[in-house]
Amino acid sequence: MSGNLPEPVRDGRVLTCEDVKPMLVFCACGELDAEENTAVMAHTAACAACAAELREERALRAVLSDLPQPADRLDPAGVLLSQCRSELGEKLDDWEAQRALSSRRPLRWFRRWMVLRPAWSAALLALMGAGLGVVGLEWARSGGAKGVGNAVNVLATPRLSDQDLANMAVAGVSMTPAAAGNQPAEVQLRLRAQRPMVISGSLDDGDVRRVLTYVVENGRQFDPGVRLDCLDALRMRAADAGVRRTLVAAARKDQNPAVRLRALEALQNVAGDQGVRDVFVDALMDDPNPGVRVEAVNSLVRSIENRAPDAPGSLLSPEDRRVLRALEGLTRNDPNNYVRLQSAAALRQLEPRELH
Amino acid sequence: MSGSEAAPAAVIPLAEYDDRALISAAQAGNRAAFEELVRRYDRGVLRLALNLTRRPEDARDVYQEAFLKVYRNLHRFRFECSFYTWLYRVVTNVCLDHLRRRQARPEDQAPELASANREEPAVGDFFERQREDRPMHDPERRFLGKEIEARISAAMEHLTPRERMVFEMKHYHGLKLRAIGEALGTTEETVKNSLFRATRKLRTQLEELR
Repeated sequence: MSGNLPEPVRDGRVLTCEDVKPMLVFCACGELDAEENTAVMAHTAACAACAAELREERALRAVLSDLPQPADRLDPAGVLLSQCRSELGEKLDDWEAQRALSSRRPLRWFRRWMVLRPAWSAALLALMGAGLGVVGLEWARSGGAKGVGNAVNVLATPRLSDQDLANMAVAGVSMTPAAAGNQPAEVQLRLRAQRPMVISGSLDDGDVRRVLTYVVENGRQFDPGVRLDCLDALRMRAADAGVRRTLVAAARKDQNPAVRLRALEALQNVAGDQGVRDVFVDALMDDPNPGVRVEAVNSLVRSIENRAPDAPGSLLSPEDRRVLRALEGLTRNDPNNYVRLQSAAALRQLEPRELH
Repeated sequence: MSGSEAAPAAVIPLAEYDDRALISAAQAGNRAAFEELVRRYDRGVLRLALNLTRRPEDARDVYQEAFLKVYRNLHRFRFECSFYTWLYRVVTNVCLDHLRRRQARPEDQAPELASANREEPAVGDFFERQREDRPMHDPERRFLGKEIEARISAAMEHLTPRERMVFEMKHYHGLKLRAIGEALGTTEETVKNSLFRATRKLRTQLEELR
């Protein structure tokens, strides 16, 4: 043993060749802790056989690290890696598509249950078949089949789902005047959804109101004539906040100028409302159609005029002055001659109030 | 116009995100974040698969299966260990399954390597011969290098899948035994035993070259 190295001791015991040999593999690859490493070094300094073995272990490691790895030979240019990435992208697409499909598939838990329990499934299906047969026979006897394909009369209870609304087409809207007064007593809507449907009821009926507002708010899906009919029906309830929102949306966004014009007309009676006033002013300044701009001019003037001259607040408010400024702008700049004339006339009409 | 305008929000490229941010984004359904994670680690995964299976088509299968598993189960990753460890746990399991399946099918065994010429006379001590500085410039060394490579390749076929995995991860990926144990879901002691047995077997196979 070398006198310069510590005694090869581990756990208080002197190491023998039998102890050291199993440690040489780990010594060569740096997996011994400091104490073990010192002990092995001390032993190999004194033991030629173990020292030779350690050299061989290290040489094996050196050989392994010098040799090219199979991966270097099998994919030297990284082509396989690129292929793998591309294939993985496709597989992820497939998997996501499959997952989306299975999440849309109704009753998949039931189908899985059936696959796992074929005997129970057969019994259940037989039972369901028998049940359906009994119910179906009774229904056929009661004359239920006669109604297939014909319009079903749906009375005023909210039964339309959002899906029904999204899929429906409106074949016609008609209003039956009330026996007394000029408000429609009843609105009748003929719909083509999954099955033909007629909805009748007053404007306060949930389904009737939903169909009318849906048609006006989703203008692109429906014919402009149908939208005008619906607006005509809704104008009777312009004081209602929900209906007013629908009318405002139509006045601002509908593609058809006739519909925007009719929406402004429908809002005429509630022009005192700040939101509605803004709609008129915006139409006055921004609507591309001159007819709509003229309607906005007239509606605004009427709303100011309708205030009694002696009533408190009959002087022009800051909002009214904003309207005046807009009218002055139109008088000077509007490209349409008729709009300029109407604006000038409106200004003349309102000036006495300004001087009041 | 008065006052300063708000600066547009800076868009940080995914490559600059750390693993944790990428994993969180991928868990929230961001596919691009997952693909960035794949790009960070897939080179090592493919090398491991190629070194272990030694067949491009098998390595490709391992790669696809491993990353699909990771993608499907990413929501289960709870940051309790490093993503690297978790990923390699998945990859090594897929590799081990693959190797076991292949061992169970004798027709799928790799053919014996023709270059392992046992008739060739030994030239001096095997390990001594490796000390040449520029082996590729010496035809005799180059020949021996190929022979050694073939021998090691053949010797690897005698290892069990787990021994091969441990040997591969230790020698070619330079992982510590503790990390290998974590990746394989086993103890450091078990890994030590596997490495010891693998090294013994390899040395026995290479003895013939002496």
